[in-house]
Amino acid sequence: MKDKIEKLKEEILDNLVKAKEEGALRDLEIKYLGRKGELTKILRSLKDLSGNEKKEIGQLANEIKKEIEDKFAEMKKAFSGKEKKEQTDVTLPGEKIGRGHLNPVTIVQNELEDLFISMGFMVLDGPELESDFYNFTAVNIPPNHPARDMQDTFYIDKKNKDGEYDLVMRTHTSSVQVRAMQKYGAPLRCVVPGKCFRCEATDVRHEHTFYQIEGLMIDKNISLANMKAVLETVAKKLYGEETKLRMRPKFYPFVEPGANGEVTCFLCQGEGCLLCKNSGWLEIFGSGLVHPNVLRNGGIDPKIYSGFAFGFGLNRVTQLKYGIDDVRLFNSGDMRFLQQF
Amino acid sequence: MLLSLNWLKDFVDIPKSVTPEDLGLKLSAHTVEIDSVKAEKEKFDKIVVGKILELKKHPSADRLQLVKVDIGKEKLDIVCGATNIKPGDFVPVALVGAILPNGLEIKAAEIRGVKSNGMLCAEDELGIGEDHTGIMILAKGKKGENLAEYFKLGDTVFEVDNKSITNRPDLWNHLGMAREIAAFLDLRLKEPGLDLNKLNKGKGRGEKLKVAVKDSELCPRYMAIAVSGITIGPSPKWMQERLSAVGMRPISNIVDITNYVMLELGQPLHAFDANLVKEISVRRAKKGEEMETLDGQKRELDENMLLITDGKKPIAVAGVMGGLASEISDNTASIIIEAANFEPVQIRKTSRKLGLRTESSMRFEKSLDPNLCASAIARAVELVKQLCPKAEVASDLVDIKNFKLEQGPIAISLEWLEKIIGEKFEEKRIIKILENLGFAVKKNGEKLEVVVPSWRATKDISIPEDVVEEIVRIYGYNNLKPQMPKVLMQAPLINEERKLERKIKEILSQGAKLSEVYNYSFVNEEQLKKLKMEIRDYVKLANPIASQHTLLRQSLAPNLLENVKTNQARYGEFGLFEIGNIFMDLTGAEDKGGQKEKLPFQERKLGVILAGEKKGDVFRKIKGIVEYLFDHFGLAAGFEILEDLPGWAESKTAAKIVLEGEKETALGLVAGLDSRVAASLNIKKETAIAEISFKELAGLIFDKGIKKYEKLPKYPPVVRDLAFVVGSKILYNDIKKEIENFSKLVKKVELFDVYEGEGLGEDNRSLAFHIIYQAPDRTLTAEEIEREQAGLIKTLEKKFEAQIRNF
Repeated sequence: MKDKIEKLKEEILDNLVKAKEEGALRDLEIKYLGRKGELTKILRSLKDLSGNEKKEIGQLANEIKKEIEDKFAEMKKAFSGKEKKEQTDVTLPGEKIGRGHLNPVTIVQNELEDLFISMGFMVLDGPELESDFYNFTAVNIPPNHPARDMQDTFYIDKKNKDGEYDLVMRTHTSSVQVRAMQKYGAPLRCVVPGKCFRCEATDVRHEHTFYQIEGLMIDKNISLANMKAVLETVAKKLYGEETKLRMRPKFYPFVEPGANGEVTCFLCQGEGCLLCKNSGWLEIFGSGLVHPNVLRNGGIDPKIYSGFAFGFGLNRVTQLKYGIDDVRLFNSGDMRFLQQF
Repeated sequence: MLLSLNWLKDFVDIPKSVTPEDLGLKLSAHTVEIDSVKAEKEKFDKIVVGKILELKKHPSADRLQLVKVDIGKEKLDIVCGATNIKPGDFVPVALVGAILPNGLEIKAAEIRGVKSNGMLCAEDELGIGEDHTGIMILAKGKKGENLAEYFKLGDTVFEVDNKSITNRPDLWNHLGMAREIAAFLDLRLKEPGLDLNKLNKGKGRGEKLKVAVKDSELCPRYMAIAVSGITIGPSPKWMQERLSAVGMRPISNIVDITNYVMLELGQPLHAFDANLVKEISVRRAKKGEEMETLDGQKRELDENMLLITDGKKPIAVAGVMGGLASEISDNTASIIIEAANFEPVQIRKTSRKLGLRTESSMRFEKSLDPNLCASAIARAVELVKQLCPKAEVASDLVDIKNFKLEQGPIAISLEWLEKIIGEKFEEKRIIKILENLGFAVKKNGEKLEVVVPSWRATKDISIPEDVVEEIVRIYGYNNLKPQMPKVLMQAPLINEERKLERKIKEILSQGAKLSEVYNYSFVNEEQLKKLKMEIRDYVKLANPIASQHTLLRQSLAPNLLENVKTNQARYGEFGLFEIGNIFMDLTGAEDKGGQKEKLPFQERKLGVILAGEKKGDVFRKIKGIVEYLFDHFGLAAGFEILEDLPGWAESKTAAKIVLEGEKETALGLVAGLDSRVAASLNIKKETAIAEISFKELAGLIFDKGIKKYEKLPKYPPVVRDLAFVVGSKILYNDIKKEIENFSKLVKKVELFDVYEGEGLGEDNRSLAFHIIYQAPDRTLTAEEIEREQAGLIKTLEKKFEAQIRNF
């Protein structure tokens, strides 16, 4: 029985090779695989076998049948010649799958948050409508300091007992510094991303609503050299390993000493271009060692602890990363802008 | 502020190896940001001397003239609006391509049909002075000569970023900057060495000026001296050049001297005509008092302002601006020079109130060193004598003072210094840096005792950290070696809400295909009225910057609708979302600080908006997005009838978002935009909005959004479809619940079709469900399912008067 099947298989395959056109192929199909075909007959006769033999030969027969059917199918395709004649245009586009978009500030903010989390920083929030105390007094900006000017700060139209405005839209995320110290004490490592407000007219370079990410690290023996190392890490993360950091003295009331930070312009690699106004450097953050008054306001003893604080303008960092030339686009809700990210 | 390199060189010998550009960079690195370094020669690039040949009327503009001007190698036609010019005048001509100091680029232009090849300039346009009354008329010059050469400009000018020296009263002058340069280049500072004793020589010895200071708190020091034998005239060229270089217009010798001393030493001075001022009294203004200031404006004064008076009338707003009445005139023969110190906060408030920000007030409001008065008055007298050879001191020097400076000493340990900087410094080096800056340093055991120079002691330097900054900045931040902190390794606390926010943003921007917008936190009344929103408990800005941004939003919806307007012309169907704060004038949760009071209520919301062409579509889709979002956290969103809807919502399509089956959980709402509101907003799309309380949602997710594995069923489910017609008022929620609760064998109920319309009769609709039967312990038999299905149908018929449809 087994031999018979094998022999038939050889015969069929031989004939198949000889078949030159579709008609011949059809004839062969009827001859072997048709209802009264030779292979069909053999398969049918298997039911008369018994036990083990039935199982063994049945399996073999089925395999051979499958093989031959596949061969027929393959030959048929070859004769029909469709594959050759109508070549698929592989350059046609695929089926469109739409997607949504994050605001680019979110993308950069997430990236920075992840970096800081990896260095052991918590991510904190704070109120956007803030008290005069946390926004100014607590961070060493006393009454009558120019930063408190109505020109710079949105005040809330609500006076306190003394007839003064004492609520503001926070002008910086530094307002969370003392809140964080009061809540968590020292040692402390945190970043605070968030929305900030300044009372100024908007144009290509100015926005009254913008985003910052504040950082704060307080511990025993924290030094300026530590601050520089952490900020250098951030700069490299943002703009690549080759990025260099330059720091210069700058006054911020809540730090002492204070410095601002610039990175090598990533567009011209420091050669000087339009973006960096030919200086080769881009200013991206303010920083410094936390002023002892601020530590004290946060209930931390400056004799035991020291720390550094820094703030990045998220809009600016994002603008630089993507080459966005108009700061107003972030708050525009314009999908032509959003869809690029 | 502008600095002249030549002037700085009076006080420090800057080596040739340090180019002006280097010096600018070094100043930026050690002291203060320098915005630009400009050789004056380049200041007037493409601006030349021209001679006016003829003037003609512009054919089509009465106010314009056609000027033919000779610039040597050619003659240009220029259209000009000024009327003070005549043929033969020499004027500055900005050629095509020139960039004026104010940034204006000169281009060839056609003005009302006539070509104009350049521009004739006024003083202010050249940055030489403030005059804009007409074209600047020059003395006879060489036609075509560059203006810088014409003025013989050879200086280099540094532009200082004023904002970076608000904390440094000592830097608003050349001597102070020279001291910095000397410190970081380690050079000797050539102190001017002014001697007050010299002032007491002269024929006026013994003459007393009558001066009274009535408010010594607002005027800690008042010095004055009379000088006679004055001849008013122009100041010498060297002085004019320096003043011009730093943007100060020369006026006359005496006025120029007061300005010169201010720019050199930082002390604002004032000179009165001694014939007009017989005595001086420094007092607060009376309510309603008025005076005319030098700029010719009548000023209304109040009790918080300090005045210099002649005993009766005000002659100057102290430290801000002098009065017109006692001004130096061409006839002035003797003067009183004032060098005083005024309390900074009062100066700041007064100058703000009067809208008068002067070179003088700008300096006083930074807290000037009262000691400066002495050197300044000495320098002024010296210069007066130099410029008016016949001048003589005509009175004793008046010096009324009431001040005390905290000059330390500040004790600093070297060990602490190393700890805080993160680098070891040699003691010698530290002392050198500090001494170069004018500090006196004494060693006391392991500590340095640092005495602060008076010019840094008014508010700038008072604690050891301030001294650290001095050391580090002169050493150079850029020379510090970075070193990562060595701290205990500790996993940070995770901000779960923030993490969830990110997750939600991801879900919405990816699967839900929405784009994330950032909107302003502000809205305005008109906008809210159009949205038919009730204006209650809104937090208001005291000083809004724009009329459309006056109130703090209570909902994300208004600005999301604005986003639809922004995009509707360019996109067919689109969806946006925002996560942001809303505010209400109610008591919130956060401390205000200090007192026990709380801040106004603020909370984060999630807002989604969909815009499309078909009403039912966007409403269904936005509900789908809410369900999709919930599903990520293993939760099912449900929708219930919303009773208290916002004005903008269409009542037919407004629902409360709940956790399915829990009617009382109110997480937010979802609603279509009312078509009348849409029309008033000019929104052309069908629009639906969902707004969810982030806090409630987060609470729910943290509480219940816990995924747990359920064993795969052993026995197969059987699906039966059931369609029936019910009254339109009967809610899906109720029907679904009824089916689900009908029997334990009903595993799941899925709606797959809703049909309203022909053949069903009015107020009817057809609902079609897949009903999935399944038992945990056996394969259900056909009979069993038929029985269940028949029972279910009977229940639905009875409960909802449902009519079963046959497919």
